[in-house]
Amino acid sequence: MTHISEEDLVLLYYDEPGVAQDIRKHVAACGECAAAARKLARELDMCNEWSVPEPDPQLGRSVWAQIAPQLEESQSHRFRWLKIASACAVMATLLIAAFVAGQASRHPRPSLTAGLSRQARERILAISLADHLDRAEMLLTEISNVGESDASEMSDDRSRAQDLVEEGRIMRQTLARQGDSSTLALLDEVERFMLEVANSPAKLTPVEMRQLRERIGSGSLLFKVRIIESNLRNEGQKS
Amino acid sequence: MDSGDDIAIGKARRGDRDAFRVLVERHAKAVFRLAYRMTASENDAEDMVQETFLRAWKQIGKFDGRASFATWLHRICANCSLDLIRARRRRQSLYQPPDDEGVDPFEKVPAASPSPERLAQSSQISAILVPALRELSEMERAAFVMRHYEGMGIEEISVALGVQPGAAKHSVFRAVQKLRRVLEPVMSASR
Repeated sequence: MTHISEEDLVLLYYDEPGVAQDIRKHVAACGECAAAARKLARELDMCNEWSVPEPDPQLGRSVWAQIAPQLEESQSHRFRWLKIASACAVMATLLIAAFVAGQASRHPRPSLTAGLSRQARERILAISLADHLDRAEMLLTEISNVGESDASEMSDDRSRAQDLVEEGRIMRQTLARQGDSSTLALLDEVERFMLEVANSPAKLTPVEMRQLRERIGSGSLLFKVRIIESNLRNEGQKS
Repeated sequence: MDSGDDIAIGKARRGDRDAFRVLVERHAKAVFRLAYRMTASENDAEDMVQETFLRAWKQIGKFDGRASFATWLHRICANCSLDLIRARRRRQSLYQPPDDEGVDPFEKVPAASPSPERLAQSSQISAILVPALRELSEMERAAFVMRHYEGMGIEEISVALGVQPGAAKHSVFRAVQKLRRVLEPVMSASR
């Protein structure tokens, strides 16, 4: 009687596709091969005792922070021609703009915020931020409330998320000058979530939708957005 | 959310850094786990994660979608880790470093024959397993780690390592044989 080879037992242990049915039947029927399979399994199961340390939950973020400054260089070769063309277009636009500005400077218009006090400008920023967070909250709430079994159409959500990413960046730049770290951290968190939505497929399966909802819940994102939005709204309404 | 990768990959191929950031955040932990199994060092694993994504960004134009993005990243990570291990072995053969610097972390774990009681704890299992993994060839180590710890099939491993499925299968098999030689006495002693 021919017994099963060690190689086939290994394939059987790993449940590799393509292991012939008669090999499985043989192992089930033959005491010697069944014992060999059990012994192999016990030995290989020992390897599972070697555990991997849990990576930092923020690993993706820290890796990104490390590599982001280096990415520009590697892309620059591929897009050099595009950059040159863009630079020429920008230069031409600037020349035209300079000409038009020169004409207009004979009758200068004051900027919208010129003459406003620092306090007034801060109130305007607070209200703008609160509006931005309000829009983010609406999208987060909608995603949180999608039915369990529905496959979800994301086309509209993706474009809204992309708008929020771009809007959020302008807010962050303005806010960075004031050094409000807690609101900045929240804007960063919102941006990362919105990037995920903006880069999701047009239709999400219920499982993918659940993963998105879990992301909102795990970091209490919606809760934080509501709190900061409310604070900003109060700040903006102070007379 | 693997199907979601398609959108981000498409954008990243056109140079969209935001889309690439999404991919980094989605896959960094999985890449870390593979890198740790390959290098047996947390610091090295973190370096390998960075190196993997830098290479991925440079090569994303070549990603053809035949394998999943995760498999493609595994391939890059395995190659980065193998490069590191090879470089360290080369340096070791040229110099005898005065301290741990430049030594394959697998070399740092002392070979031990602890009692069966002690083996109940995973740290002690590591004390036997890690030096045994050190004895494997680079290809065997990579193939075994992918098969046993990452749950990748032989076909997937062959794609990831850029070898024929038969070669991947034999690498896994040879690794299992070698590891069994080390683990068998431990099992017998624990009975």
